[in-house]
Amino acid sequence: MRRALGTLLGLLCGACGIYAQSDVPILSGALAFIGSKTGGAPSFQPIIAPVLVAPLGDHWLVESRANVQGFISRENGTSGPYNGQFFASLDYLQVDYIANSHVTVSVGRFLTPFNIYNERFPLWIANLVDTPIIYTIGTRTSGSSNGGMVRGVAVARANWILNYAAYASALTTTENLQSGRAAGGRAGLFLPHEGIELGASYQRFLQSGDYNAAGSYVTWQPPQIPLDVRAEYAHSPGGQGYWLEGAFHLARSRDTISWVSRLQVVGRVQQYFKGKPTPEDLLPSADVNQFDFGLNYYLPHNVRINGSYGRAYSSAGNSNIWNFGITYRFLFPAWPGEHK
Amino acid sequence: MKPLFSVLFVIFLLVGSLKVLAVPQTPARGQKTSKAAADKKNDGEEGENRFRENCGRCHNPPDSLSPREVKAVLQHMRVRAMLSAEDEQLILKYLAP
Repeated sequence: MRRALGTLLGLLCGACGIYAQSDVPILSGALAFIGSKTGGAPSFQPIIAPVLVAPLGDHWLVESRANVQGFISRENGTSGPYNGQFFASLDYLQVDYIANSHVTVSVGRFLTPFNIYNERFPLWIANLVDTPIIYTIGTRTSGSSNGGMVRGVAVARANWILNYAAYASALTTTENLQSGRAAGGRAGLFLPHEGIELGASYQRFLQSGDYNAAGSYVTWQPPQIPLDVRAEYAHSPGGQGYWLEGAFHLARSRDTISWVSRLQVVGRVQQYFKGKPTPEDLLPSADVNQFDFGLNYYLPHNVRINGSYGRAYSSAGNSNIWNFGITYRFLFPAWPGEHK
Repeated sequence: MKPLFSVLFVIFLLVGSLKVLAVPQTPARGQKTSKAAADKKNDGEEGENRFRENCGRCHNPPDSLSPREVKAVLQHMRVRAMLSAEDEQLILKYLAP
């Protein structure tokens, strides 16, 4: 797997040189610093997540995202000196062939397309810092898959669009490149004028006893009101649950821009019900009910400040969850002299 | 694993064949005029609509990007957000007129 990814990286570098005159590779991503206090235990996480996008003509694209993250916490949880560890992972490194609006073929390492949270809500898009409790259902072992994927718009009409994704992944245990042996897919119906999307996902996990995971999701962004509603449900033998999130910019419409409209109020409720524990599911060992309340402030130049409070109720123990962070989203050409 | 790849290949073929069934969205959304300037304006407005409907679900319009940068971003988002070729072209005209 390392050799394959190395080959992909080599292709990317070579291709960037060949096509530098016509297509501009871009370097994007985010820098973030997050402070948390969960159950009285403080921690700090500096994060950098660079995204490299290299178009190779109109049909080929190489794209990659890495994640380098630190975790600084006290030695005994709530007491003792602070110790830090750093982790690095490759979220995706894929070559895409965009055949037409209906078919894009991707090979390499890609984000597992189960429901929407994993693919659509990276750090700089997600309204709350903490991932949902059910996040690992359908995305184990790492949120990424190594193999092949087909995706696109199956049918497009003026009032509705049907999209899909289907993939197969091989087992990989290489450090920082883990993936599970699995196959699955997702289908979604998007109503652009109403701002509604509904979809469903399925995954067959082909190791550790073979398990099915299924899920569904809905998003709603009414065109006239700056409200975002998102929800997911997921089920696996290890457990099931849902999250429902609403986020509202303090403005009368989506076009209003003022210091007040830059403030976003977020609320999320989650329920998780444990099932039969399965290997590598990374799910809680007890039922959990949790709510989160957050405030995000969007400063100019792609900087966001966020804070949130959550309370988790569980038979394993109740806890308060505090988060505070700052995120900077960057984007610039990866090739000098191509900005204008 | 082989049967799975076979299933995926069949899905690939089926979806590819759907191209025949799909129809372009333009006739239902925009009006054609004979003037190039009007066309450009209409494309820009339609591009703004497409941006709001698709990209605006997660992103604000970028502050300042060159047409080449916008093209790279849109190719990236075409894969990520499953934009159609028509969406890509109209949003390109809106972001980099």
